Amino acid sequence: MSKHLPSRTVERTVIAQDPSVCADGKIIRARVAVPAEALVPGPRGCRVYVIDYDASTDTYYRPLEESKIQGDPYGDADDDRLIGEPAFHCLNVYALVMRALARFEFALGRRVSWGFYGHHLQVAPHAFADANAFYSEGDHGLFFGYFPSLDGKRTVHLCLSHDVVVHETTHALLDGLRDRYTDPSSPDQAAFHEGFADVVALLSVFSLEGVVERVIDLASPGDKANRIATKDVTVKRLRESGLLGLAEEMGQEIASIRGDVLRRSAGLPASPKWYRSDPTFIESHRRGEIFVAAIMNAFLEVWVHRAEGLGRIDQRYLPRGRVVEEGAEIADRLLTMSVRALDYTPPVDIQFGDYLSALLTADAELVPNDAKYNLREHLRRSFRAYGIEPCAATKPNDGMWLPPESAMDYDAVHFESLQRDPDEVFRFVWENRKVLGVHEEAYNRVVSVRPCVRVGVDGFVLRETVAEFVQVLELGADELAKHGIRKPKGMRSDTRVRLYGGNVLVFDEYGRLKFDVHKRLLSSEEDRQSKRLEYLWNTGHFHRKPSGYRRFAEMHHQRAFGAPIRHRQEEW
Amino acid sequence: MAKKPHQIKVRAYQADFGDCFLLTFYYKSGRDRHVLIDFGWMDEPEGASDDHFKQVARSIRDECSGKLDAVVVTHRHLDHLRGFDTKKGPGKIIAGCKPTRVIQPWTEHPKARADAKSAPGISMRAVSFVQSLTGMERVAETAVAEAQRLAARALSPGLRGVAEELEYLGKISKYSSKKSPVENLMRMSRKGRGRYVHCGGKSGFEWILPAVKVHVLGPPTLEQSCAIRTQTREHEDYWHLQARTGERAMGGAAKLFPGAATLSDARRPKSAGWFVRRMRGLRGEQLLGIVRELDRQMNNTSVILLFEVGKQSLLFAGDAQIENWLYVLHKAGHSSKVRKRLKSVTVYKVGHHGSLNGTPKSVWRLFERRSADATEPNRLRTLLSTEEGHHGNEHRQTELPRRTLVRALSTRSNLMRTDKHIPPGQLFWSEVLDT
Repeated sequence: MSKHLPSRTVERTVIAQDPSVCADGKIIRARVAVPAEALVPGPRGCRVYVIDYDASTDTYYRPLEESKIQGDPYGDADDDRLIGEPAFHCLNVYALVMRALARFEFALGRRVSWGFYGHHLQVAPHAFADANAFYSEGDHGLFFGYFPSLDGKRTVHLCLSHDVVVHETTHALLDGLRDRYTDPSSPDQAAFHEGFADVVALLSVFSLEGVVERVIDLASPGDKANRIATKDVTVKRLRESGLLGLAEEMGQEIASIRGDVLRRSAGLPASPKWYRSDPTFIESHRRGEIFVAAIMNAFLEVWVHRAEGLGRIDQRYLPRGRVVEEGAEIADRLLTMSVRALDYTPPVDIQFGDYLSALLTADAELVPNDAKYNLREHLRRSFRAYGIEPCAATKPNDGMWLPPESAMDYDAVHFESLQRDPDEVFRFVWENRKVLGVHEEAYNRVVSVRPCVRVGVDGFVLRETVAEFVQVLELGADELAKHGIRKPKGMRSDTRVRLYGGNVLVFDEYGRLKFDVHKRLLSSEEDRQSKRLEYLWNTGHFHRKPSGYRRFAEMHHQRAFGAPIRHRQEEW
Repeated sequence: MAKKPHQIKVRAYQADFGDCFLLTFYYKSGRDRHVLIDFGWMDEPEGASDDHFKQVARSIRDECSGKLDAVVVTHRHLDHLRGFDTKKGPGKIIAGCKPTRVIQPWTEHPKARADAKSAPGISMRAVSFVQSLTGMERVAETAVAEAQRLAARALSPGLRGVAEELEYLGKISKYSSKKSPVENLMRMSRKGRGRYVHCGGKSGFEWILPAVKVHVLGPPTLEQSCAIRTQTREHEDYWHLQARTGERAMGGAAKLFPGAATLSDARRPKSAGWFVRRMRGLRGEQLLGIVRELDRQMNNTSVILLFEVGKQSLLFAGDAQIENWLYVLHKAGHSSKVRKRLKSVTVYKVGHHGSLNGTPKSVWRLFERRSADATEPNRLRTLLSTEEGHHGNEHRQTELPRRTLVRALSTRSNLMRTDKHIPPGQLFWSEVLDT
């Protein structure tokens, strides 16, 4: 793990999954590498501020003094102290958030901003007496609830669940990278935030050897020696006994809150029908499970494939330690790959096929030779098994983004400024507006320009600049037809609608455009805007303003109590 | 074959923010029949006497000559069943009318009670769902208590408004099976008098109302609901979990970590001040979101009845919202017949006191008797039992009654509002319809 992170790190103890996942009667811990920084009480560093305030009881817990939060003060603590001391909860959540942030920064090769105006993500580990945890952009924070266990004997703290903390942190990070992905647009976009956050959370957990060991123990119980039977290292066995077994352990109380993602995704058989035709998978959190299932399935396939290549013990066994290492390594690699793909996704209206193309392209750019894991092929096959194909505008054989179709005009731009200045990037966009599909009547804005330096596992260095450009066009519904867009049935002609489009421009180290990942604002070839308006109309977004209740808080509650889609069009 | 009633009298009682309707079916040969649909309220009407609702109960008793043929309680909310309270309310008077039938939604079946060990004839899945409704009631209590506690400490101006809205929602939800109205209904339902209805099933009015067809359009059973959405056991468990969470927090001063040091307001870091204030506001919104959801779920257990006799067709939908309607409108085997029947509705009791989601637009659009012409003799009659300006928030478009709905009702139907068309001091409004 530490070989992937900046050299200046500190090892901190965290709970590997959550307090209910134990080995030999003890909570499984892990020591994770976190960027070293001088902390003040909170703890508070340069990016995260833990504020231990409980709004249900109006209690502010005093943070540990500065001298006690450096290093790893809970490295030798027993289970009672980990559960019973709020200071550990604060350090646990701090470490997991910082670890997730560091992982994103490593994968993307640059600093990653939060999705709000400010440097600190505020984190409340004991925010409310509530079975909920969520990210709120408007409040600049993450909030974790607590509630009594099923037997009433203890309190369950969501801040101690590794996957819950990383899931919520991922929402915050994704919001900083793709601001428009929280806009209602299509079933896939609504599902993507949840599905992606689940993937990052699960892979983050599985990148810890202690957890992978637990999966192996469940898949091959009884044999605690340094070997595991080959018959227990199959995709079926690892999925059914290993992953599902772990899912059973992972806080039964949390199942109703987290939607039991691991169990649902591990238990979802590969079939294209969920994605293509089953109406129950239109809901965002259910649709996200398909996305998770596709990636977790690929993870298992790669893991088993690698394990098969390990040397045998007595013909029928594999070296247990090596199998565990491979599992954690592959999860780690897949996690980096999944995050890196974000730089190659379009700025608006993401579909699962777009993400798949981004995933394949981003990895190929940095790891041209994928022979060791063959990850890309496994991912392609796994997504296809769940009915998800790469975006249409990609190479037919490998699903990767194509280079720009036409030659670009670079005469008016300066290479050095192109790597950091939005105005310079817009100059480039303007000079090439016809090729890039810029609509001259739209409001146009370069949202970000991000130079990055990415390093592959073999030391291969890739320098790129990723610029995000968004277009917005507001029209009356009566103007849609002249642009080839269908007005939804029942929509009044005087309704104002907003259309979005944009490009993610990936420049190479010489300032040349490598990829133009776009969603055209108006295109005669795509039906995108018609479908989007139809979706927004049918889900009532034109009928009533959405409630002020924070988006992720509401969505997680709806997942918990099974609320149906709100029929806004039926309301007055 | 029995002769149909030649007239129906519809009587809407002044119930402030509640429902209380008495239907009288007049038969030329034979006894007149009387059906009471709900009897509940939130507060005493303005200007009414202290024993207003006892007077209402006596009026019902007198109108039916001491004998009710059926009582319908559409769902378990205070503003629909408070009148059956025998301890603090006029429930004894109603019980004294010895209704032949007591009709409630299937979720009130005694076999599905919270302490039911087994439930012959009722699936355990249904029992689980019903028990989750009890969990919801506990959640409402704890949410209201928490909001009041926080508002009382003046921690945030916004919290006071939230506490008021929560108090309203919590109040109407707080009836558990131990409370007097529910116990009274259980007693009245004994000896085979109780009927627990669901969409498409028997109405319980068989031979009670000769020559009157009564269709049950809601609530759907769990199996019927699952045709629309997926509700799992974990979702039901969530309400019990949330209730326990709230109960634990109700201790107020109870601390999560008894031995841990805390900081008073004065000693808290200034740098955390903005975030702490945001959290307080956020907590209020959370509590509202939870309680609104449970209000919605309880409303969707409402019985929806359609009475058809001669040229009259009367629709009483309790507080049903769109989810309650979805199955019968679109998924049921007889959906197309139902939609056809709804076109002929002559009297519509407006759902949920005129809320934004108590009259689904797709149902409203089916009514063919709507007309902009106020002189049209067969124009749709609508009954709205409500009290303006007391609940909801116009800025958030949640005011009761919703003004956009009221505009549609008043321009396209003959609208009767209990808060506008029953003069102070009068107990009811009534109209006689020829069949």
